[in-house]
Amino acid sequence: MKKIILITVLMVGSLFAQVSKPIEVPYIAYTIKKAKGVDTLQANCLMCHSFGYVINQGAQPRLFWDKKVDKMITHFKAPITKADKKTIVDYLFKNYGNGKLK
Amino acid sequence: MKRRDFFKTSIVASAAILGSNLSAGTTHLPKMNRKVSEIPFPEKRAMITYSDRPPLLEAPRSIFTRGITENDQFFVRWHLPDIPTQIDLDSYTIKVSGLVEKELNVTLKELKNDYEQVEVTAVLQCGGNSRSAFTPIPGGIQWGSGAMGCAKWKGVRLSDILNRAGLKKNAHWIGFNGLDKPAYFKTPDFVRELELTELDENVIIAYQMNDEDLPYLNGFPLRLVLPGYYSDSWVKMLSNITVTDKYQPLFFMDKGYRIADNKTEGETPKHLAKKTKPITTMDVKSIIGYPEENMKVYHNSELVVRGVAFDDGTGIDKVMVSTDEGKTWDEALLKQENGRYSFTEFRFGFKPTKYGTVKIMAKAINRLGVAQRFAKDIPWNRGGYKYNGIDVVTVKVV
Repeated sequence: MKKIILITVLMVGSLFAQVSKPIEVPYIAYTIKKAKGVDTLQANCLMCHSFGYVINQGAQPRLFWDKKVDKMITHFKAPITKADKKTIVDYLFKNYGNGKLK
Repeated sequence: MKRRDFFKTSIVASAAILGSNLSAGTTHLPKMNRKVSEIPFPEKRAMITYSDRPPLLEAPRSIFTRGITENDQFFVRWHLPDIPTQIDLDSYTIKVSGLVEKELNVTLKELKNDYEQVEVTAVLQCGGNSRSAFTPIPGGIQWGSGAMGCAKWKGVRLSDILNRAGLKKNAHWIGFNGLDKPAYFKTPDFVRELELTELDENVIIAYQMNDEDLPYLNGFPLRLVLPGYYSDSWVKMLSNITVTDKYQPLFFMDKGYRIADNKTEGETPKHLAKKTKPITTMDVKSIIGYPEENMKVYHNSELVVRGVAFDDGTGIDKVMVSTDEGKTWDEALLKQENGRYSFTEFRFGFKPTKYGTVKIMAKAINRLGVAQRFAKDIPWNRGGYKYNGIDVVTVKVV
């Protein structure tokens, strides 16, 4: 009986230990199309989220990407310059667009 | 089906979509054919992986044959990139402040020893679950139907904690915040606010899920559990509870997770609803866990169709299954042993007597008589929220 209790205590101990050392979340290299503007994306977007978050939004019209980047600037306070915004929207529409302006 | 036939069908299908007035927005079955990733995340089996930062993981269809979802297959959805990777369990507290008589800093030890311990089995579902059902594609992760799960949660009643702190007379709103942080100081934090009237005895602060500690990615060491509600308010790594008299404007309440405030909760891409409201309680829904899309099943075999159904806690009354394109429906057998907020398991014996393609459909009906509709009858909305169409799985009888 004592043995069982001891094992239980150890088990609880190890369960709690799970976050006593830093947990590592794997990095996934989402392949994003290498095209004009990709460096600007790299510099501005990866600070907050992976490319997976971008490419899993589905193929979208230009206005959608424009509004998304706007949202990042207005609501999420991402420091993206006007020139960079245009480069990013151009890139996203060209590579992950659905061909429609809106 | 031969390749050529497939192309014929898709031409007909796309013509049908184009013909049916694209400007109106259409709804169809969500995408359920995505493969699980090769890289498993901490404490998880390999899952469908949309993003690593913030982590976004979806469960495959096959897990929805059982009423309890395993912790290592439970979906994951975070909003902000900076999630603490180390937690000191001795110093971790929930701070209760604002319009209270006595400010509290509840430690994990106090939570587990000084309060009544309670359990509730409840479904946790992302408001955007099944978003890939909508065209034009609403922005957001294009989830299939695996952004949900059902677990037994153990913890302490929120009301017990609030009572101990003592609410002041003018207390009206309760804000919840967790430890996850944005990358930029000025980015709004993921804070949720609920009205006191929305919070009943079933709302708990949970530290266990299916008799184990919460997995790190599901909010270790504590999260809010709001049975019947979409998961946007089930705040993870809960650290602050703030009581106020007035609503505090919040990005994630005011801009995200909202739906048209009209009777159908629908709108069209050209005519977006002017008035919107936050998504709150869940609509009746069911998912077939087995068989899966394009499986081969043997002629005259004894196939057992299995799945799960749930709603906002009203309770599931029936699940009906059709194998003839929805012409006739038969009642499935139900297993309901975990209370009204949990998954109801259903199973249905089906002996395929004809060769070829068969569509298996499942439709849940709750105790108020509210039934699921066909996908095409679910109104489109810009956020892609609350999809709950009749599930359809196509199998091939050989």
